[in-house]
Amino acid sequence: MSEPKKNTKMTVFKTDRHEDMAAIFFVTVVVASILIYMAFIIPSVTIKAPTSGKVVAVAVQKGSEVKKGDLLYSLQLKGKPEPKKYKAVTSGKILSVTAKPDDAVKKGKDVILVLQHEKGTLP
Amino acid sequence: MEEKQGMAKVLAIIPGLAFMILTLFVLRTYVEPWMENVVVMGQKGWLVKVLSLNYILLSILTGMFYRNVIFGGKIPDWAAEGFRTTRLFIKSGVIMLGSLYTIQGLLKVGGIAITLIFSFVFGTILFVIWFGGRNKMDRSLIGVMAASCGVCGVSAAVATTPAVRAKPADVALAIATILGFGIFTMFISPAIGHLLHLSDYQFGAWVGTGILNSGQVLATCLAYNPDIAPGTAVAYGEIWNVVRVISIPFVVFFITLWYWRSEAQAEHISLVKIIKEKFPLFIFGFLGMTALSSFGMLGAEGSETIHLMRQVMSWIFGLGLVGQGAYIDIRELKAAGGAPLKVGLAAGAIKYVLALVVVLLFVAKEANF
Repeated sequence: MSEPKKNTKMTVFKTDRHEDMAAIFFVTVVVASILIYMAFIIPSVTIKAPTSGKVVAVAVQKGSEVKKGDLLYSLQLKGKPEPKKYKAVTSGKILSVTAKPDDAVKKGKDVILVLQHEKGTLP
Repeated sequence: MEEKQGMAKVLAIIPGLAFMILTLFVLRTYVEPWMENVVVMGQKGWLVKVLSLNYILLSILTGMFYRNVIFGGKIPDWAAEGFRTTRLFIKSGVIMLGSLYTIQGLLKVGGIAITLIFSFVFGTILFVIWFGGRNKMDRSLIGVMAASCGVCGVSAAVATTPAVRAKPADVALAIATILGFGIFTMFISPAIGHLLHLSDYQFGAWVGTGILNSGQVLATCLAYNPDIAPGTAVAYGEIWNVVRVISIPFVVFFITLWYWRSEAQAEHISLVKIIKEKFPLFIFGFLGMTALSSFGMLGAEGSETIHLMRQVMSWIFGLGLVGQGAYIDIRELKAAGGAPLKVGLAAGAIKYVLALVVVLLFVAKEANF
């Protein structure tokens, strides 16, 4: 009887081409899942500070209806002369506002507001 | 380990993959936050700020630790199939990085990237052919060495092997030499970049040109700036990396022609056939993501959708890099020596330094896209 064939390949796939196709398929599934989850499954999104800075103004309040492109808030960033304005990327309703003017916020940690986005849009 | 088939193969992947996921989870949830707060040399977060020890480099170091210390030099059978998913995750991450660009932006920077990459790739190949010849290296070994130094440590060396009739030992030697050099540059490049105050664009261009392995380019860029977004080091470095990967079939063709130039077989070498067989298909996935991003189908820049996508992307990279670390066998690196080591190190070092000089002299601080 012959010796069992040793597997010394660096991939679980038959060839590099199979691995490439699997990577494309895997990414398609991941990206489609994210888009469906964000557009149809979660009811609202918690918007955290996209970068560290100081809140200059919050242009919305709890219960406000916003349209895509409306100003939400502005942040003063370190080393920048002008405050950076952040606009709504989708229409929806503001469920709560946590940040106040003069608050120092940390990137990805402090919540600015919670937005209930229109179903089928990408918040 | 015996090669498994079907469902048994899928089940065999689970233990190793679960181990990689658990490792990354511990690194990102506990180790990295601890390192951000711990005081070393009188400075809070010194390990992260000065040594660039974020989850990316930690993933590679932990993978190396597993392979060389815990596993005693060989990935055990129970984990081997799971660790073989490493390249799948790195390729998937590269495809997802396509979402950082628009078609217009890619075309703008692509021209500079193509010029730099093709000059450096073919310049390095010519150097290895000349220097290898001077050092009386075997022509087959020169062929794989030229491919691995010129374009990509592993993929190109493996792709060139049959064409230049290289022995497995030649391939292992070439890969060990160039990967060893790459690991060294991966750890020193972020510090050099900070010292020279390189912008993310310059750093990405330098590393994308000077470092020879996709995983190492990604890791080095993310160590320099862990953000995954347009305008960051990884976004720029990846354009260079993609152009380099695209050049692989051309490199294989060129080296094959050189190897067979005095033989009758040279007449039967076809570039079209080599492109058909060797072109990396996952690049089409990358371009597909760029097309979706250009048409705004992945959400607006700054949206929570994009934020989530980049979070997922960073986990996919992290997984790939734990595996990448586990494929670094220190004993194999020690095997590199003699003329191939001399030629490989000379080619790698010249390319690395020259790429830095060219970037400092000719690449603007900011990209115009």
